Amino acid sequence: MTAPAVGVPLAWEAAVEDAPVALSVRAGTAAVAGADGRVWTVDTATGAVRPALELPGGALSVALSPDGRHLVATGPTGYGVQDRDTGRTVLTETGAWSATAVWAGGQRVAVARGRQALVLDAQGEQLWATEPAPSTVTDLAWLRDGRRLAVAAYGAVRCHERHTAAPVVTYPYVGSHLALAVAPTGRWICSGNQDASIHIWRTRDGSELTMSGYREKVSRLAFDDTGFWLAADGAPDVTVWDFSGKGPAGTAPRSLSAHRKVTALAWRPGGAGHLATGGDDGTLALWHATSGRPQTRLSPARTLPGGSAVTALAWAGSELLVVAYRDGAVRAVEVPPGVTL
Amino acid sequence: MTDAADAAARDGRVPVTVLTGFLGSGKTTLLNRILTEQHGMKIAVIENEFGEVGIDDALVLDAEEEIFEMNNGCICCTVRGDLIRILGALMRRREKFDHILIETTGLADPAPVAQTFFMDDEIAAQLRLDAIVTLVDAAHAIQHLDEVKPEGVENEAVEQVAFADRIVLNKTDLVDETTVAEVVSRIRAINAAVQIIPARHAAVDLEEVMDVGAFDLARVLKDDPEFLTETEHQHDTSVTSVGFELTGELDEARLNRWLGALLRTKGADIFRSKGILALAGAPKQYVFQGVHMLLDGQFGREWQPAETRRSKLVFIGRGLDRDQLEQGLSACLSTAGAAA
Repeated sequence: MTAPAVGVPLAWEAAVEDAPVALSVRAGTAAVAGADGRVWTVDTATGAVRPALELPGGALSVALSPDGRHLVATGPTGYGVQDRDTGRTVLTETGAWSATAVWAGGQRVAVARGRQALVLDAQGEQLWATEPAPSTVTDLAWLRDGRRLAVAAYGAVRCHERHTAAPVVTYPYVGSHLALAVAPTGRWICSGNQDASIHIWRTRDGSELTMSGYREKVSRLAFDDTGFWLAADGAPDVTVWDFSGKGPAGTAPRSLSAHRKVTALAWRPGGAGHLATGGDDGTLALWHATSGRPQTRLSPARTLPGGSAVTALAWAGSELLVVAYRDGAVRAVEVPPGVTL
Repeated sequence: MTDAADAAARDGRVPVTVLTGFLGSGKTTLLNRILTEQHGMKIAVIENEFGEVGIDDALVLDAEEEIFEMNNGCICCTVRGDLIRILGALMRRREKFDHILIETTGLADPAPVAQTFFMDDEIAAQLRLDAIVTLVDAAHAIQHLDEVKPEGVENEAVEQVAFADRIVLNKTDLVDETTVAEVVSRIRAINAAVQIIPARHAAVDLEEVMDVGAFDLARVLKDDPEFLTETEHQHDTSVTSVGFELTGELDEARLNRWLGALLRTKGADIFRSKGILALAGAPKQYVFQGVHMLLDGQFGREWQPAETRRSKLVFIGRGLDRDQLEQGLSACLSTAGAAA
């Protein structure tokens, strides 16, 4: 395990016995999912680690409810739901690829299961389900305060509501959508694609736009709290698009370069345009990503050299950044207000 | 070690074997043999056909075929979305595998499977398509190869033979020698360079099908020198293969231009291309393989001081024109006149 640079205020350092693939932080708890399927919770105040559950077929994602009391983990062959107050755990092994889970408030969670999305209550009971998409569901996102569910699969993003199994709106695009981001304003739906592009739909009229020319597939993208900025991978650099006003059509993105390959990104809560990114070379950077002019390469606010690859990042409030590394290390870095790390 | 296996061993990526073949050709039997043999390797298996594979030491994952088009202007470019997902998750695991086996369904088109290894950056960086191994049932091969498909539909058996780096001619105990000879000649008519391994009950040496470095062109060409001059055509639309051997060094820029243009215009009909090349100014052999319009290559072993610089290439596809290919290739020799 490589120690971080001297002088960086580490709040705590923990270790799990697996290669972390996903992180979720809510209400003082971090949940860490390992590739082989074990899931732990970590107290973000102390760094104390506790085992939560284990998915027999491996894990792909983990999501804590906003109050931190319920946990959903998904994996290549099924998913698990845990009530953290009682410890009651329900594992559902269907053999179907379960890519992700996304909470809508504290009472409902959407879970991908093969070509379908299920909406469950906090105890894991099914409330409703979408009709199957033509291929495996790759990502999910909620719109309209949790009344509409956007489902990404090859060939389209389909939006579903509870009253009907069929989509209420379909946004077609021939491509393999790997990741989905919906602006908090509800104005934009964006997909990161296997063909090294970002596809953008304006929800109001379905008008669309493709940002191509990425070096690699785009598998991570995220809007900041304001919905004005979208950060994406797909190259050695992180790109940041301006979605304010009429959107990014005809604009050039900001380009942030610090890592050999970007493996994680997370906007700092608060909407100040601060973005944390991590790389497969173990580097970690914090940026004032929205400052500067378009197409100028900003230098990172701070880079922590590391050894093992960063696999996931999540903020615990605006002053603590939780970082998971491939070798099983989980570190919390204190970030004072402002853009210093 | 063969030239190709030597080049492969240097590159450090995890080798992947793709097993194809019609239902009943013995894929599952071969898979079980590989998994039960004491080879000391950590193997992960991805199954598209739910077989009777279940070995404690190996990780066995099920997948359902999902073919995705790529928006890159390459008309024949499709990949397997299911494999990208599963291989991606496999690479994130802590455990490192020595080898990955993919068992496809009997009806699978091998092209999207092979193209996946060229088109996904994560996969291309960490995994290497080692060989496509096709099992052929000696008793039913001719029937499958002769099956007439509707217009525009490929005969999967022909494709699987055309794409193969190794063919396990299985169930030879169920047919007489004449039939075996006939099947071999039918296979050779499609894919002259492929190594055919006769077998009963899918019993083959693992070294013959795993970590073989995709192909060993030098050996094949030595065994079958006629392959290099053969001009006999069946009819234009049938799948055949043509091989070339050129003495001298190739000019890299000219070769890139020619090969690039060839694959761009004829890539849909060229199923596979393979070669060991002598490039002008390069101290090492250049080993490449391609699937339709996609190419991947790396430098192999060093040329020996006294060794004649010689390039060997094979194309497998539909309606190949040997004379035209030979002309184009000869013009890439560094001793040839300036390229037009």
